[in-house]
Amino acid sequence: MNLFSKTQFDADEKGYFGEFGGSYVPELLVGVLGKLSLEYEEAKEDYKFIDELQDLYQNYAGRPTPLYFASRLTKELGGAKIYLKMEGLLHTGAHKINHCLGQALLAKRMGKKRLIAETGAGQHGLATATVAAKFGFECTIYMGAVDYARQRPNVFWMKQLGAKVIPVEYGTKRLKDAVMAALQDWMSDVGDGYYLLGSALGPHPYPSMVRDFQRIIGVEVGEQLQLQEGQKPNYLVACVGGGSNAIGLFHNFLDDENIKLIGVEAGGKGDKVGENAARLQGQPEVGVAEGYKSFFLQDSDGNIAPTHSISAGLDYAGIGPQHAHLFQKERVKYISVTDEEVLQAFQKLAKTEGIFPALESAHAVAGAIRIAPNCQKDEIMVINISGRGDKDLFIIGEELGGDSWKEYLEERSKIIKE
Amino acid sequence: MNNINKQYEKIKKENRMGLMTHVVLGYPDLSTTRDAVLIMAEEGVDFIELQIPFSDPFGDGPTIHNANTKALSSGFHVKDAFDFVSSLHEKDAVQIPLLFMTYYNVIFHYGIEEFCKKAEEVGISGLIVPDYNFSAEAHDHFLEIAKKFNLILINFVAPDTSIKRMKKIDEDAEGFVYCFARHGVTGAQKNIEASLLSYLEKVKTNMSVPLAVGFGISEAEHILAIKVSADIAIVGSAILRSLEVGGVAGVREKVRSLMEVL
Repeated sequence: MNLFSKTQFDADEKGYFGEFGGSYVPELLVGVLGKLSLEYEEAKEDYKFIDELQDLYQNYAGRPTPLYFASRLTKELGGAKIYLKMEGLLHTGAHKINHCLGQALLAKRMGKKRLIAETGAGQHGLATATVAAKFGFECTIYMGAVDYARQRPNVFWMKQLGAKVIPVEYGTKRLKDAVMAALQDWMSDVGDGYYLLGSALGPHPYPSMVRDFQRIIGVEVGEQLQLQEGQKPNYLVACVGGGSNAIGLFHNFLDDENIKLIGVEAGGKGDKVGENAARLQGQPEVGVAEGYKSFFLQDSDGNIAPTHSISAGLDYAGIGPQHAHLFQKERVKYISVTDEEVLQAFQKLAKTEGIFPALESAHAVAGAIRIAPNCQKDEIMVINISGRGDKDLFIIGEELGGDSWKEYLEERSKIIKE
Repeated sequence: MNNINKQYEKIKKENRMGLMTHVVLGYPDLSTTRDAVLIMAEEGVDFIELQIPFSDPFGDGPTIHNANTKALSSGFHVKDAFDFVSSLHEKDAVQIPLLFMTYYNVIFHYGIEEFCKKAEEVGISGLIVPDYNFSAEAHDHFLEIAKKFNLILINFVAPDTSIKRMKKIDEDAEGFVYCFARHGVTGAQKNIEASLLSYLEKVKTNMSVPLAVGFGISEAEHILAIKVSADIAIVGSAILRSLEVGGVAGVREKVRSLMEVL
């Protein structure tokens, strides 16, 4: 299996995907990013490193994940034959563990002592805290105060794993602010600290490196579909926040232009500024923030705009630079779905297939619900179920649980007070 | 000759260290910013960084970050920065070199060419943009455009910048080089790291431009400690703190205490 193949849509040696990406960082990070690039390039060629990673993928994370034929959903939508790539079955509940294992191995190789990470939904934070415990690193996780409040179960688990979780109280108190807090922490501790970035974004080499550790998703899909159907997929659908699960699914297929690739952004609750996180709809604007050039939601002065999504993992104003490039080259089509469609998609997948997708992944399901009915019956669509929905219990409870859910919470809080 | 170089010649003639101070434009409001700048000029500061607030100030610690957020939420816009500098020159007859400090997206979004043109028009001498480094030059041509409009784009070095890279940075460096005194973000701190002086000596040996030292330089004693190796001291957060505690009178007092030891 070739983990680290290249495509025509990859970055040059300075980390540019066309005009996007690069490394826009203070001189304080130039040295450490340079070292990281070199180390990563070496590791990719090192069979011991690759063997160790594959062993961890299989025996620790639970790879390969199933590629499951969703027969009832297929029948109900009445179009393409739908397969689900079940990344949510991985240890810690989402695809994030893939790049956490890869980067933890790299941190170990570099002799680092401490992992620093940002998290939105808490899935990346949880996966980072997990590998920190497994490898014996100290661990600090930054989380926007808004996300900290809405993803408390993950905060609780991260702390149980021994991580220090710090709510970020400035800016919009969301993922982008957590990214900055983590980068600043790293700037203060470049010797012992390793910044374990949680998506395919940030300064070079992160967008390429995180993608490489995630591309196993698409590699497996190719092999599994060959076995099950004897053919390639026609459509691949994934949600896109920063874009790590989507690029992980797409990358293996980028050069095969017959395969249609669809990224689904968070349309939130409306079109106004601050109501969504749809960066590529309407007239996308190029900007530079958090160390990379890409499309960002921003105001008339270039300030990064506030965002909203029902899913904390997609509630982010920027998008990974390779996605920006794939958008500009029209290789991937990016659509957006609303919070309401997402909740409906969540319920549909639960009731037709017995699967709770994470709210992030439910965006991909909602995208498929829109597209699949218009496809031919012999066409195959693969949806990336990048995470499972357990972590969203409290958000979905509030949305769908009605009075009985409120009563339950009130009772619990009474019991705790007593 | 650019105003920055002129001012540095004056510093050398007077056989002393230079001082660059900093304000966040529009914090707490523009009239206070103006008063603070005038006091700094009166007290004999050599250069002033005028920070155009940005939503995501990458290199700034909590003190300056909060000032950025507050300036923005009180309605500060980039065009106000140009108007402000115009009036400092025309109405207040400020003579010392003024530099815009901001993050790259503010300039990129405005249009690099338009921004630089406008900055030159209102009499800005240089630009300090911490999240832009020369590895982006092949794509963005920022340095090239700044030069075209007679603006000095200040370069940076850090404690772990290699000698090879210092020499490379030096090729295009003008005015002075901004040396990060330590790894971290802006913010006052108690002690100066012992390794700072040997790092500054390394920069001095390998670069031809004057050394300006910032990040964690907050007290007169810090300036005394770096005096042997540094040409210019940069004080930011500590002055902002004195503004918050003692208003513009606090700024005057703070600046005086720093000027005394130059």
